[in-house]
Order: sequence, then C-alpha cells, then structure tokens
Amino acid sequence: MRAFDVVTAKDSRHAVALLAEHAPTAKVIAGGTDLLADLKFSSHGPAMVVDISRVEDLKAITITDEGLSIGALVTHTAIMRSPIINDMFPALVHAAHTIGAVQTRNLGTLGGNLVTGVPSMDSGPTLMALEAIIVILSPAGRRQVPMAEFFLGPRKTVLKPDELLAEILIPKQNLGKPTHFLKFGLRKGQALALVSAAASVWVDVDTQICSAPRISLGAVAPTVIRAPKAEAHLDGRPLTADAMAEAGRIAASEAKPISDFRASAGYRRELVAVLTKRALEGAYELAKTKRRGA
Amino acid sequence: MAKVTITVNGEARTVSVPPETTLLKLLREHLNLTGAKLGCDVGDCGACTVIVNGKSVNSCLMLASQVDGFDVLTIEGLATTDQLHPLQTAFEEKGSLQCGFCGPGVIMSAKALLDEEPDPSVERIRDALAGNLCRCTGYSKMIEAVQAVANSVNSHPSVKSA
Repeated sequence: MRAFDVVTAKDSRHAVALLAEHAPTAKVIAGGTDLLADLKFSSHGPAMVVDISRVEDLKAITITDEGLSIGALVTHTAIMRSPIINDMFPALVHAAHTIGAVQTRNLGTLGGNLVTGVPSMDSGPTLMALEAIIVILSPAGRRQVPMAEFFLGPRKTVLKPDELLAEILIPKQNLGKPTHFLKFGLRKGQALALVSAAASVWVDVDTQICSAPRISLGAVAPTVIRAPKAEAHLDGRPLTADAMAEAGRIAASEAKPISDFRASAGYRRELVAVLTKRALEGAYELAKTKRRGA
Repeated sequence: MAKVTITVNGEARTVSVPPETTLLKLLREHLNLTGAKLGCDVGDCGACTVIVNGKSVNSCLMLASQVDGFDVLTIEGLATTDQLHPLQTAFEEKGSLQCGFCGPGVIMSAKALLDEEPDPSVERIRDALAGNLCRCTGYSKMIEAVQAVANSVNSHPSVKSA
C-alpha cells in the first residue's frame, strides 16, 4: 500500500471538520473492507485517510419521529442482531447475512456498503424498496437524498468530497412494511450477486389488493434500480400468482444486465423475472401475517 | 509514524508504525506473531483472522491505528506451554488440517463462534467458517472438530475455552 497519513475522528462533527480540512485528497475509512482492499491494488492513493470507525454517534439503530434511523457505522453483524430490525425488517437481516462472511460483516458497515456505489451491493435493493433516505453531513449542514437519487453510476454517488454519509433513514410510513430480499450468487458464502431483488408491499388482508408495491434490483444495471413499470402493474390490484409472475417479466424488461465472466446478460434477465416474482411472494407471505401499522 | 498500544494475548504492547500499516502487518512484522497468515490480503481467504474485542475480523483489512487501545487475541494466545487449547486438540485428533496454512484463521473463527454460542448447530458452524478458505481438506473434519469441542464443553461445563 502507498503511504498515507491517518487522522481519527472523535465524533461526527469532528469527522465533518476533518473532511472539510483534507478534502479532496482524503478518503474516509470505516470498516475498511472495501477501502483497504482497493488501496492495496491502486497505483495512486489518498494523502490522508480520515478514520471514522470510532465515531460513536453514527452507530445507533433508533426509531425517531422520521422513521427508523440506522447510523452509517452500524455493522452488518449489528444489523443481524438488532431486535428492532429483526422485528420490523427481516429482509434487512437476510440481506446483511448475504454479505461476505462473519469477519467482513463484523467490520463492514451499512454506510460503507452504500458509498461503494457498486451495482451488486447487497444492502441496496432492500433499502431502495423501502424508499430509504440517505442523510448526509457537510460543513453546509445536513441534507437528505432519496436512495433512488443517491447513485449516479457504477462506483459513483452524489456524495461530494467534503460530505459524509451519516445515517440511513427508513421513512415512518414504511415502518414494518412487508419486504423480502433474495440474492442469487454462484455460492452460498462470499459470492457477489449475479442478481438480487427486493420487494415491499402493503396488502389489504380482506381483498388481497396491494398498494405501494416497490421493486428494486441489484447487479443488473449501472446502479441498484427500481422497476417502476413492474410496480405500476401491481398497484391497486389483487396480488395473484399471475400478477406476480407478470411483474417479474416486466421487471426483466426494465433491467439492463451485462454479460461478464460470472453470467450472461440473458441468464441475468431470466433471474430477474424469477427473483422478482419470488421476492413478491415472500413479501406477500409476510403481509398475510401482519397488518399495516401493526 | 502512528503510535499504537494494544493488548495482544493478554500483554500490553506499544509500537510505532507507518500509518498505512495493517493490523496483520503489525502482528507479523512488528510483534513477531506470525501465526496469522497473509493469504489474499483483501478479506476473502480468512487466513489472517484474529479476534479483536471479542469479534473475529480479517486483520488484513484493519489499520493498526484502528485497534489502538483494543484487545487482540491471536492463535499464539490459545495454547500454554504445556496444554493445547481444546480446539487445537480436537483439530489434531480429527486430522482436521493438512497443509495447515488456513489453520490459525479457522481456529480463531471457531473460537469466536464458541465464545458466543457454546452449542452451535452444524449450519451455524458452517456459517462461522464461511470466511475461511481451505484448499486441502474439504472442511468436514474441521466441522467435526468444532462440534466435538462444543459437545465436550456442554457435557463438562467446567471445561472452558481459554
């Protein structure tokens, strides 16, 4: 690794001040699972690394007036063990479990997974299907960006060099929304997603009519994406087997997968149809066991 | 240089290292603890696994300065001069290792699991070892060894893992 200096932030204010001082040649390190792996193979490194791993005020999982707040430094292991998240969003627990292995889940953070901006990120689809909001701190203050607008392209996000991803907010109206996540990789452990899909939906238990269906796909476009046409196909209709299968086919037409050494574009497209249908089925199963607001 | 003070295997150590030094490099090259291995160096293989503040981590993915003030346990901290750790004994009895390069990492992952969960299912053991690659054994005998220790801890509550 090329030489760099390290400054350690004490809290989020300090982290923002340090970033402002050292941007644009600074990089932020939290869990380090992506940053250090990248820097070891990079011909040019940052002059300064701002270590935010000790910033305690970004490690909380709390219910606030705005919704469920997950601090950017919450590790994947912490998500898996959080009673609140297990209760409200088992899909987030499942998504966290598909990331890397125990050692990387103990280090890696939710915010870190998002700032990589890779289309195959395992945390992305579930959060996007829950219309998560990214809370960003900078010397200018605090701003919120809807998850769907956060990613600009592969490894590109809206974050400016002096901005810090501080918090991930699942809005109040989606608390407890039935959600399901599926990842298809070539192995169970330590595999990148060929395709991942998440679906969230409210279902009226008496009429089976669904509302606010949200479908999000990973690894099949330059960023994690929503599948708005598939969503529109379902909204306000009964969630039948046919409707879910058709939503899967529509989602496949909305994906823009590439061929690479892991899989062909055609195979990925087929997977989108199947995983979307199954994610909807999983969310529907959950919906049958709980009512809105419950 | 970054001044780093850590407790390694129960002993406080202070060293000055270049800021970009990883925990693995600190252990191997500055503290002469070469049990944790440099394998892939990117967090895939688990050969560098150590336990930091009770959690298994890839020591190749942490900066030394990030563990300043923390408690680090490496494979060297398990056995005493006259007694192996129960996991080490079980790995020896079952013939769980062949070339042995992955061994320190596998055993530290298994220890982290048993410390939190004394009676894990096979599924949980597999999950706990998923971040440790072994190209020799096929894993079965490692899983059997971890199960054997779990069972012995449970049948003799006084036998505690280090």
